[in-house]
Amino acid sequence: MATEINVNGAATSSDWQDRYYHVDQILDRPGPRTDPSFLAGDEVKDFLRNKCKILVIGAGGLGCEILANLALTGFKDIHLIDMDTIDISNLNRQFLFRPADVGRPKAIVAAEYVMKRVPGVQVTPYYGKIQDKGDDYYLQFNLVICGLDSVEARRWINATLVNLVDPENPESLKPLIDGGTEGFKGQARVILPTVSSCYECSLDMLNKPTTFPICTIANTPRLPEHCIEWASVLEWPRARGDEKLDTDDPEHIGWLYSIAVARAKEFKIEGVTWSLTQGVVKNVIPAIASTNAIIAASCCNEAFKIATSSAAYLNNYFMLIGTEGVYSYTFEHEKRDHCPVCGGEALEMPISRDWTVEQLIELLTEKQNIQIKKPSLATPGKPIYFQQPPQLEEATRPNLEKKVLELVPDGGEVVVTASTLPFSLSLIITYI
Amino acid sequence: MSSQDSQDIETATTAIESAPDTKTRRYDRQLRLWAATGQSALESSRVLLISGSATSTSILKNLVLPGIGHFTILDHAKVSHSDAGNNFFLEGYNSIGKSRAEEAVQLLGELNDSVEGRADTRTLGSILKAHPEWITSFTIVIAHNLDHTLLNELSALLWKDAKYPPLVVVRSAGFLADFYIQFHEHTIIESHSEISPSLRIDKPFPALREHALSLEFDKMDSTEHGHIPYVVILVRALEDWKKSHGGSLPKSYEERQQFKKGVLALKVKGDEENFDEAETQAYRCWTETKVPSEITALFSDPALFIEAMDSNQSPFFHLLAALKEYTEQCDTHTLPLTSTLPDMKSDTHNYIHLQRLYKTRAEEERQVFKSYLRVPVDDAMVDSFVKNAHALVVLRGKPWGTFDEDKAALGESLSTMPKETCIHLALSALSLLQAGDTSVSPSAESIRAKIQSIVGQYTELPDEADDAIGEIARAPFSELPNTAAFLGGMVAQEVIKMITKQYVPVRGYCVIDLIETCTGTIGA
Repeated sequence: MATEINVNGAATSSDWQDRYYHVDQILDRPGPRTDPSFLAGDEVKDFLRNKCKILVIGAGGLGCEILANLALTGFKDIHLIDMDTIDISNLNRQFLFRPADVGRPKAIVAAEYVMKRVPGVQVTPYYGKIQDKGDDYYLQFNLVICGLDSVEARRWINATLVNLVDPENPESLKPLIDGGTEGFKGQARVILPTVSSCYECSLDMLNKPTTFPICTIANTPRLPEHCIEWASVLEWPRARGDEKLDTDDPEHIGWLYSIAVARAKEFKIEGVTWSLTQGVVKNVIPAIASTNAIIAASCCNEAFKIATSSAAYLNNYFMLIGTEGVYSYTFEHEKRDHCPVCGGEALEMPISRDWTVEQLIELLTEKQNIQIKKPSLATPGKPIYFQQPPQLEEATRPNLEKKVLELVPDGGEVVVTASTLPFSLSLIITYI
Repeated sequence: MSSQDSQDIETATTAIESAPDTKTRRYDRQLRLWAATGQSALESSRVLLISGSATSTSILKNLVLPGIGHFTILDHAKVSHSDAGNNFFLEGYNSIGKSRAEEAVQLLGELNDSVEGRADTRTLGSILKAHPEWITSFTIVIAHNLDHTLLNELSALLWKDAKYPPLVVVRSAGFLADFYIQFHEHTIIESHSEISPSLRIDKPFPALREHALSLEFDKMDSTEHGHIPYVVILVRALEDWKKSHGGSLPKSYEERQQFKKGVLALKVKGDEENFDEAETQAYRCWTETKVPSEITALFSDPALFIEAMDSNQSPFFHLLAALKEYTEQCDTHTLPLTSTLPDMKSDTHNYIHLQRLYKTRAEEERQVFKSYLRVPVDDAMVDSFVKNAHALVVLRGKPWGTFDEDKAALGESLSTMPKETCIHLALSALSLLQAGDTSVSPSAESIRAKIQSIVGQYTELPDEADDAIGEIARAPFSELPNTAAFLGGMVAQEVIKMITKQYVPVRGYCVIDLIETCTGTIGA
C-alpha cells in the first residue's frame, strides 16, 4: 500500500498552496536533457522537502546567499557551521545581517533570519570550527556546500569527505559543492569524492599569495607595503612584546599605520594609507554582493539538481571573470594521480644531494601543488622533523641542518603530515 | 630636485589619516574595487525596476547593498501564492494579496539605510502614454520578463535620445535566461585593464637615458651592483647594443638571445637577482612602445569630427581629441608616460630615484597633454585619463531587438554559437507567443515554429534547438530561485559597471544555461 506523501514538506501552518509553483514545474516533468532515472512528481518533492539533509559550511558572503537560495528551493533541513562573528565590513554583502548584529555569531544570526523569512525551514547552526566535528557528524548529510574564504578549511573538509568514502556503502559518498569569490571573479565546482577531481587535485590553480622577503622589508623598502610589513612583522613584536596583534582592533591598525607612515617618510616612499595598512595586515580580499550572488546561486543550483536529478549537474568546474564583459569557462577538471588525498600514488621528489632537511621543508611550503604550512616529516620507521609536540620538536630539531641524504636513502619514502590537514603526503626522494 | 618636489614628498608621506568612518568601513571591501569615485557614482544613481519579481528583487538586493542612491519598483501586481514562495523579499504567506512593489521595497530597504526606495503601483502602459519623462529621469531602467509589446514601446522610448537612460532587458524561464543592455554610447576611462603601460625602455626619455649612462657599474661595490634596478640595466644594455650594432635593436631570435646573454654577463656575482630580472624583462627592449591599435582606432571615432566636437558636452571626447593631438605632435609618437613603476629588485635609494625620474617626466608630459585640451577638464579626470590612456574603451550599442530582425546575423550566430543562440531564440519565441496574454503555455511545436519564423524558413535549426525548446516548454512560467539569484548577481554586476563607468560591461546578449552551468555572449 502506498504511503501518503506530503509534497509540501512537514505539515506546518506555514505551507500554502502553490508555494512551490515555480520549482514544481521542473519537478513535475523531465526536460530534454534530464537523466531517465529522474522520478518526476511527488517522490522527488518528498525527498527534497522531507528527507534531504544538507550542510552549509560558512555563513559569510557566500553562506548568506546559499542559505536563502536553499530555503526558497525547498530544502528544509539545513545545517550551518561558521566560526566567525559579524563585522561592519560584512554588511556590504552579507545581507542577512544588520548593524545591530555586529559582534554576534554569523551562524546563529543567519539561521534565525532565514527561519523567520522562510517559514517551515529548519536551520541548525553551529558556531565553531569544522574540525570540531567528526565523521559521524558529516555522515548524516546528503550533500555539503562550502562557501569559505580559507584554503586550509577547504582542504580539511575535502580530505575529510574523501576519507569518508567506503566503497561498500554508496551512502558514504557525499557530493561536495564548493564556491569561492574574489572581487569580480569566482568559481563553483562539484566534487564527487574519490570519483571526480577533488579540491587538493587543483591546488596548483590557486594564485600564489604575495609575500615580501624579510631582507627587503628590513633593508631595502621600496613600496608602501614594505613599510607596513615592517611595522607589523618587525616593529610590533619589538615594541609591543607578547601582545597579540588583533587586525580587527582599530587601535592596533592605527598604531601600525603611524609606524608605517614614519618609516615611509624616512625612505621617501609614498602611498601608505589606512586602507592599505588594513589591506596588507589582514590580507583583505575585495568582495561584493553581485559576485557572491552568482557563485552561490550556481552552487545551490547544483545542489538542487543533484538532490532531485531533475537536470544534469555541472561537470565539474565553472569559472567566472566579470571584469571585462561576462567571461565564464566551464570545464572538467581532471583528477591528479599524485593527489595526496584522492590519488594514491606517491609523489616523486628529485632533490639535490646537498639539500638539508630545512631546505626540503621550505620547498614543501612553497611548491604550488603541495603548499603545506609547518609540515612534519618522517620516514616510515622514524621521525625526521616534527613540529609538534614541543618535546618531539626539540628532539628532532638537530635534523634540520642535516642533509636529507644522511636520513633518507635514494628512492626512500618520506611521509609528510601537518596538524591542519587530515591526510599525509607520501614522497619518494631521489637525488640528482 | 626642486623645492616643489620635496614639498610633495613631505605632504605625501606625512599626512596622517584618522581611522575610517562607519561608511568607509561598511563599504571597505567594494571600495577596493571601484574606489571613492565609483562609490559616489553609485550613490547618485537612480534605478528603475519594472516588476517586483524574484529576479527583480535579487537584482535590486545586489544594488542596494553596495549603496545606490535610489530605486523605484514599478509593479501594479498583488503578491500571489507563488510569489510568496519564491521571493526572499516578501514576508511569505503574510504578504499574499498585498502590493508586490510595496512589500518588496519595505524588505529591500532594510538592507541599507542610506538607500531610498519607492514603490509605484501604476501600470507601465499608462506611464508610457502619459508620463514618459518620468521613465527617462532615471539613471538606468531594468525590465524583467516584460510583455513583448510593452517592452518594444519602452525600448523605443529609451532609444529616442542618446541622453536617455540605458535599458537592461532580462528574460528567464526555468534553467535558461538571457539579458541585454541597450545603450547608445558608453565611454570608459577606468577599465581596470590587466595590461600595464609601457616603461619606455626602448624609447627612454632623456633623464632616464642620462641616468642609466651616468652609472659606472664597474666602480660599484658588490651590494650596490646587486641592487641596480632592471630598468636601468636594460636601458644601459640597449644603448650599448645599439652603439655596437649601427643603432638598431636586437631583431632576430639569435640576436635577442645574444642580448640576454650579454645582460647576464654583466653580473659580478652569480646571485645578483636584479640581472636575472633584467634578463626576464628583456622583451621590453624589442616590444616597441607605440600607441596600441585599440587606441589608434578610437582616434577615428566620429565623435572626434569637428562638427561633433562643437556640440559634444562629454569631457571624454575632448580628452580623446587632446590625446590624439598629443600622440601626433610628440617626437616619440607614444601615449603620455605614466608614473607607475612596478616593484623590482633594488635598494631604496635607487628605486625611489628612478620613481622620481618617471614621476617628473610623467608630470611634464601631462602638462603638454593638457595644453592640447580645448575645454577645461577637472584635474582628477585628466590624471585618471592619462593613467588609463592605454586602456580606454568606447562602446556603441544597438537598440533592443535588432538582432532578432537580422536573419543573416542570426544564421551566422546559429552556426558559431548554436547552443547560446538557440536559448536566446527560444526565449524570444516564448515572449512572442505570450505577447498580450502571459498565461499562454506554448507547446514545443509552437516554440519551434516561432523560432523558425524568426530566423526565416531557409535556415535549418541545429540539434541544440531541441534542448532549448524542450526546457522552455517544460517550465515556461517557472522563475526558479537559483536562476533568479544568478541573474540577480549578473545583472547587478553589469549595472554597477554601467553606472560607475568602470570595468567593461557585456556587449550583446549574455545567455545563461544553468543545466550545463555556462554563459556565452552573442549578437554583439
